[in-house]
Amino acid sequence: MKKKKSTETGGSSRRSFIRKLGAGVGAVSIAGIPGASVIGNNNPGSGEKIKLLSPDGTLVEVDKENIRPVKETVAILKEEARKGLPGRKFIMVIDLAKCRNARKCVEACQEGHMLPRDHEWIKLYLLQDDKNTAPYWLPRPCFHCDKPMCVSVCPVGATYKRDDGIVLVDNQRCIGCKFCMTGCPYSARVFNWKDPGVKLPPGHAYDPETNIPPVEGTVGKCVFCADKLRKNELPRCVTACPMGVIYFGDLLEDTVTNGEETVRFSKLMKDLAGYRYREELGTLPNVYYLPPIHRMFPVETGLEDTDEEISKRYKDAGPR
Amino acid sequence: MKKYLPKILFLTSLMTLVIVPSQSQEKPKITPYLELQYFKDTDEQAYLKSTLTYSMNRMVLPLAGMVINFSDGSGGQSLASMVTDDKGVAKLLLGGEVKLPVNKEGFWSFGSEFKGNDTVDGANSEIAVKDLKLEMTLSLADSIKNITLKAHSPLNGEEVPVSDEVITVYVSRMFSLLPVGEATLDETGTSTIEFPSDIPGDENGNITIIAKLEENPTYGNIEKSVTEKWGIPTSYSVPTTHRALWTKTPPMWMIITLSILLAGVWGHYFFAIISLILIKIDSKRKKSKDEYLT
Amino acid sequence: MQADRKLLNDLTPELVQTSTKWYVTFFIFLAFFAVGIYALILQIDKGHIVTGMRDNVVWGFYIVNFIFFMGLSYSGALISGVLHLFHTGWRKPVIRMAELITVISLIIGPFFIFFCIGRLDRLYFLFIHPRIQSPITWDVIAISTDLVGCFIYLYLSFIEDFAILRDFSELNVAPWKKKLYKILSLGFSGTEKQRKLLLNARTIMAAMIIAIAIIVYSVLAWIFGVTLQPGWHSTIFGPYFVIAAVFSGTGLLIILMWIFRKVYHLEEYITKRHFVNVGVLLTIIAAFYGYFTFSDYLTKWYGSIKMDSILIDKLFNQYYSLFIFANYIGILLPGIIIAFPKFRTIRNITVAAIIALLALWVNRYIIVIPTLETPFLPIQDFRTDWIKYTPTWVEWALTLAGVSVFAMLFMLVSKIVPIISISEMQERDQNEVMK
Repeated sequence: MKKKKSTETGGSSRRSFIRKLGAGVGAVSIAGIPGASVIGNNNPGSGEKIKLLSPDGTLVEVDKENIRPVKETVAILKEEARKGLPGRKFIMVIDLAKCRNARKCVEACQEGHMLPRDHEWIKLYLLQDDKNTAPYWLPRPCFHCDKPMCVSVCPVGATYKRDDGIVLVDNQRCIGCKFCMTGCPYSARVFNWKDPGVKLPPGHAYDPETNIPPVEGTVGKCVFCADKLRKNELPRCVTACPMGVIYFGDLLEDTVTNGEETVRFSKLMKDLAGYRYREELGTLPNVYYLPPIHRMFPVETGLEDTDEEISKRYKDAGPR
Repeated sequence: MKKYLPKILFLTSLMTLVIVPSQSQEKPKITPYLELQYFKDTDEQAYLKSTLTYSMNRMVLPLAGMVINFSDGSGGQSLASMVTDDKGVAKLLLGGEVKLPVNKEGFWSFGSEFKGNDTVDGANSEIAVKDLKLEMTLSLADSIKNITLKAHSPLNGEEVPVSDEVITVYVSRMFSLLPVGEATLDETGTSTIEFPSDIPGDENGNITIIAKLEENPTYGNIEKSVTEKWGIPTSYSVPTTHRALWTKTPPMWMIITLSILLAGVWGHYFFAIISLILIKIDSKRKKSKDEYLT
Repeated sequence: MQADRKLLNDLTPELVQTSTKWYVTFFIFLAFFAVGIYALILQIDKGHIVTGMRDNVVWGFYIVNFIFFMGLSYSGALISGVLHLFHTGWRKPVIRMAELITVISLIIGPFFIFFCIGRLDRLYFLFIHPRIQSPITWDVIAISTDLVGCFIYLYLSFIEDFAILRDFSELNVAPWKKKLYKILSLGFSGTEKQRKLLLNARTIMAAMIIAIAIIVYSVLAWIFGVTLQPGWHSTIFGPYFVIAAVFSGTGLLIILMWIFRKVYHLEEYITKRHFVNVGVLLTIIAAFYGYFTFSDYLTKWYGSIKMDSILIDKLFNQYYSLFIFANYIGILLPGIIIAFPKFRTIRNITVAAIIALLALWVNRYIIVIPTLETPFLPIQDFRTDWIKYTPTWVEWALTLAGVSVFAMLFMLVSKIVPIISISEMQERDQNEVMK
């Protein structure tokens, strides 16, 4: 059994314990305790130890106090998911000058969140505002707006904005009315029209920060990889992009990074004239764009290397 | 029959020579890339880091679970064997005082080797590094923040200043390190650079400043860090009772309007139902009155 | 309670016997309903993928039907409520039909919302985890309030009739019906005090129904109006939807008047005068409706806002025929038919009402769907069903099932309660005698 690293006390330590042990101990049935999961950290507990069998066949010993039913694990994870990371305000900057529709961001996101192939939480658009203006590829994740219309219109509070700026969806609360999908002006949400056929992997409890697995009849969207942020790791699309198009960071630290380059956010905005998509809609998005000047590759390269199925999408792309 | 035996034997062995090797050579072995680097962290703890990767389809992929043998290059003696993690990295801690022999110019020599297996070819790598001691001092002069870096390398018991090397100064951020300055060491092995005063820190203004000599062919990777109150204090919290359309608590006027409307309408319903009840009561009374009279 | 013999003879036969034609019609509707149930089970089993809704057009037929049926409920509010407050006499034969339309369409409307909800098993979350800031919560509250209010109002209008039927000893109905009349009439016997109580209650409820109907329909309009979508974010949506609802309610009333007049032989009570009067109401409302529509589209078309222009472009190209039908023919034709005395026959007025009703359904369709097909970020997809909304047989089947349930409920109620209010007719006759 891995040595438990002492982390911060309180709720988030419980979460990190669940994560570490999650892979090792099945959440469904542990030594005949159906529906149980291990949770807790450094709990002296009752001292009474129980031997559990993990899915890979190893015998582990856990304090009885630290065993809770899965339902409570999920409740704790959901509570943490609503609170978010303290003292942070996450932002993303996307450099349109470098994007060439490699679609690695889409693939990494789909893989990381167990999405069916036709669900794209980050989507690539080929836009051209006017026939005299330049065409460009626009990667569009959820903007995690500061005045989110989607959150305002949700009748049951299944989607919420937390203090660190991230907007999440609780798959277990969503009733599938799709009002949030009409509320979002950026078409950032997808709906599970049929059973996606994805099972929760063993050892995982439902967590809105990963939002896996997708559930039929509910809404899904980009979550800024909130689960990775807890480990101080960058979101999946950021690390997957071969061109380093997507930068991510904390506004309060005034720093964004794409994995290779780390720059000061205010300087980046000032020097490269960053802007937000449709600022006049007033939703105050947290994703900024850098205009596509001095392109590294011509726009057409984005259509050359891709599947025909994908490039067919853009046959009508152009000024509207 | 005996006459043909040598011929048969010859043909069989020829066939075996052809068939057996071709079976074992069905899949070409992966050619890995083995990299060895020397690190020294801020607590003067040195370690070796060896990364085993291979490239496929223009992507670099790690090789995990492989055994890397670290050795002292000059003596050839083996130091230890470590297994690569899921990022293909194997680390060997050398400790605070590396008591390994140095050569004439004061260089240590380290080697790492991967013996290879059925699917991956073997590889080895060697480096030669000199020890370097890096000092970082923070000073404040007329409200200008300065960082002074001093580096020297021991040679034959003496401390020789290291010059002409570039040390980058970073500030630790959530996901990565933000570069804030570059210092080139002069002939005395010293350099002073100004530290920007607009870096946001935590609530108390603490920031972690890291000075790094990176991937230097002579000295490896040296790092020195310090936490100081040189950042701008930043705190951010949203009041829990923030009333807006998207928060948990709705705006006050919404609650008031809704309550008034509901109370008004359902109050009237209540009144109508009371009327119905009164009709029923009255009819009962009338019925009993009629029965009484007849 | 006593009533005029003639009235009783004319208005009660349907309560006593049922023709074969009734049964045949009822079973046809039941068959449609059964197909609808099958479609619903298929949808619950396989998921909403069996409908035509996809990630961009997330609201299709079901929402259109929902708005449409909720709109029909206005007929009661107007004819019964408003005209009650104005003490108009001519409307008395049609009051009950109007009120029944209100209640029945209020029952059916919410079912279409249920069909649209992805997780029906979590529907009760709307009541245990409500968010007041959401227009859907406003809608849930408003519709519940409206439903209760309309039921109370309807019941208030039944009481006198139940009392009359209870006391009509020659009424040859089944014993359970007699018992029902007895219980539901609350022992009403027409005394001065009781009449006053009833009248007061009805007046209060009439006022409430009008108020709550306006609120319900405005809230429904704001579900669209408060979003940022091009075409929906229009300040006129509240009043626009209210007018359109009154329009559709009135149209349906004319149709039902025609049907019941023919089938139940009520030519003496529902005369040409009623058709003309309700028809004139229809025309006046059509004028208002046309004015609001014109105002909405004129401001969109004249201003150069790109998203509005793209939407108008789509309406005039892809949806041309539907647009013309809903907003030109639907308004002008009823107006022409009723404006000219030469055209004013009962049949023509009914045809005008049918056209108006269909035009209103199409109007709802072209409010909801084209906007969803022109989002701010263009739909860049190669799958045709993601680009253009095409309703599937499941949605058609459920729409038809909704209409069938409406018809069936109406038919069933007409067997328990006289379709023309006996007490109202009695009162009218008495008023005329007094004059």
